[in-house]
Amino acid sequence: MRTITYAKALNEALDESLQADEDVIIYGCDVGRWGGIFKITGGLQTKYGADRVFDSPISENVLVGAGVGAAVMGLRPVVELQFADFLITAGDEVFFKAGMWRFMHGGAFKVPMVLRLPSGETGAGPEHSACPEAYVMHSPGLLCCVPSTPADAKSLLKQAIQSDNPVMFFEHRRLYQQRGEIDDDAPLIPFGKAAIRREGRHVTIVAWQMMLNRALKAAETLAEEGIEVEIIDPRTLAPFDFDTILTSVKKTGACLVVEEGYRRLGVGAEIGARLFEEALPYLDRPFRRLAIPDVPISSIPALVNRIIPTVDQIVATVREMAA
Amino acid sequence: MRNDVLADIFRKSLLTRVFEDRFVKLAMEGVVPPLLHPGAGQEVAQIAAIAALKDDDPVLYAHRGTGYMIARGVSMRAMLADCAGRAGGTNNGKGGIMHVVDTSKGIFGESGTLGGGLVISVGMGMAVKKKKTGQVVVHFFGDGGSNRGTFHESLNWAAVQKLPCVYICENNGWAVSVPVSESTAVENIADRAHGYGIPGVIVDGADPAAVMDAVRTAAERARSGQGPTLIEIKAIRLRGHYATDPQDYRADAAEVAKNDPLETLRARVISMGLMTEAEVETLLTECEAEVQQAVEEMQASPPLSPEAAFEDVMV
Ligand SMILES: Cc1ncc(C[n+]2csc(CCOP(=O)(O)OP(=O)(O)O)c2C)c(N)n1
Repeated sequence: MRTITYAKALNEALDESLQADEDVIIYGCDVGRWGGIFKITGGLQTKYGADRVFDSPISENVLVGAGVGAAVMGLRPVVELQFADFLITAGDEVFFKAGMWRFMHGGAFKVPMVLRLPSGETGAGPEHSACPEAYVMHSPGLLCCVPSTPADAKSLLKQAIQSDNPVMFFEHRRLYQQRGEIDDDAPLIPFGKAAIRREGRHVTIVAWQMMLNRALKAAETLAEEGIEVEIIDPRTLAPFDFDTILTSVKKTGACLVVEEGYRRLGVGAEIGARLFEEALPYLDRPFRRLAIPDVPISSIPALVNRIIPTVDQIVATVREMAA
Repeated sequence: MRNDVLADIFRKSLLTRVFEDRFVKLAMEGVVPPLLHPGAGQEVAQIAAIAALKDDDPVLYAHRGTGYMIARGVSMRAMLADCAGRAGGTNNGKGGIMHVVDTSKGIFGESGTLGGGLVISVGMGMAVKKKKTGQVVVHFFGDGGSNRGTFHESLNWAAVQKLPCVYICENNGWAVSVPVSESTAVENIADRAHGYGIPGVIVDGADPAAVMDAVRTAAERARSGQGPTLIEIKAIRLRGHYATDPQDYRADAAEVAKNDPLETLRARVISMGLMTEAEVETLLTECEAEVQQAVEEMQASPPLSPEAAFEDVMV
């Protein structure tokens, strides 16, 4: 076992993937010479050369679209957008080209590309702060990873690069410097397998990335009060491991989703709808969500902190649910 | 230009015209949806352009016409099956006439959003360059599509990377009902090439030799690592935007009909002595028979199972 940061884990995943497969290429704004604005691709251009790790113009549509074209011709491009929000900037290429080029051509192509999407609040306002994974979940043809630990980040990124399908890979910026244990001999984590981060019997919480950290903190406070929460980290949102949630809810009878995306039709809305369809007999308290209320994200910390779910809010909500 | 090449372009153009006219009839009869955007007036140039390429040079196209596919020998039966919801199509009923695909013949599909293929072509160019396959990626699109932002992003990055790509804009003067003069600030789409530091070439879409020359030069340039070229084909759209478009917005329809490039080529083939009038008539009958056979074979294929709706999403 080693302890490394989430950022280092991502860098190692890219490094090892470049090493293992000549068809892997990496490009994006500033990823080459400078190693990326968040330094995730640091050192890779020096090691693998500028024809495999290179800078691109500020042209998000062609960044993503070229990834599809390169994938169709047998490469495995790993493309970085500087901010996950730009998923919307490149909407046609993400949703129609990456998600549907194979389908609309009757399966003639494989699209093995990865789009790396650093997400989460930065203080730079509403176009540089979102966690837009619900958009990806909503649209067919795309896989979606939301790793929360260094070990998951490395494993899921390697798996994403090896996948023959397009993967939207959300990296949470607030986690980059977080450290965690990593077992170099562990097999890769399969897509669609949630992790139970804490076991408990009173309330099920579904949370990932920064909200997972907050849920884990809240769980400690709640435990002192005798409320045992079970915390599920989905790890991938598409495919989505609903079974693990269902099993947990059968035990707890209550479910709270904590997410950093917008509330309306967010990931929590989907989980709630499925619980309503498939688990109503097991729910003995109403399903609850904590999410960003439906206003854009500001740049001033006081305003941002007002809308992102907090540890205190999680504690208070679970208390209500457990009462 | 070699006579046999010219005769072949004529034969394939005629076959394309017959096929598409029959397609429109089938659409009126309700056998296929009226989603074909007839390429009448543009097929000679499309087929001449393909004739200047190698058979395995990957082609992306826009929605206008089937000349590219006919030129590469994609099965007409399969294209009709795509539209009629029958088994044995090229895209299993997922994309109809607009997403015909046959990678074994270098036909790499179409973006339903105009300009969406341009970005794909850049990545394809990056891949063939990295893999040193010697191929040239060719993308056909309309004047309307060239007004998407993807045109700028793609040509710029393709030029920066000196990708083996050839961009062919078929400027037929119209984007649905809007004349190009009302949508586009420059007179020639090819003028935009200056903005990317690449050659911009204009050719007459009624002159197959000129089209072939331009495409051959561009392909050689691309293959030798000098980067992309933008070719503008001055074309005419003989029919409506889509199969059953009444074109009531258009005053020039009668005028352009007098300049049908297929008629010009037919007259040329005869005047050069490559074919007699009678041989052209025989060829027409043969094309009709070939299309008839494709229609019959398509109709003999079983309908697609509705369950196909769930297939081909992911690997
Ligand atoms: C992004 C996008 N906008 C609009 C359309 C609808 N549309 C389809 S074809 C067309 C006109 C295209 O004109 P042009 O590119 O000049 O090609 P032409 O039809 O003349 O061959 C339009 C507006 C579309 N498919 N995609």
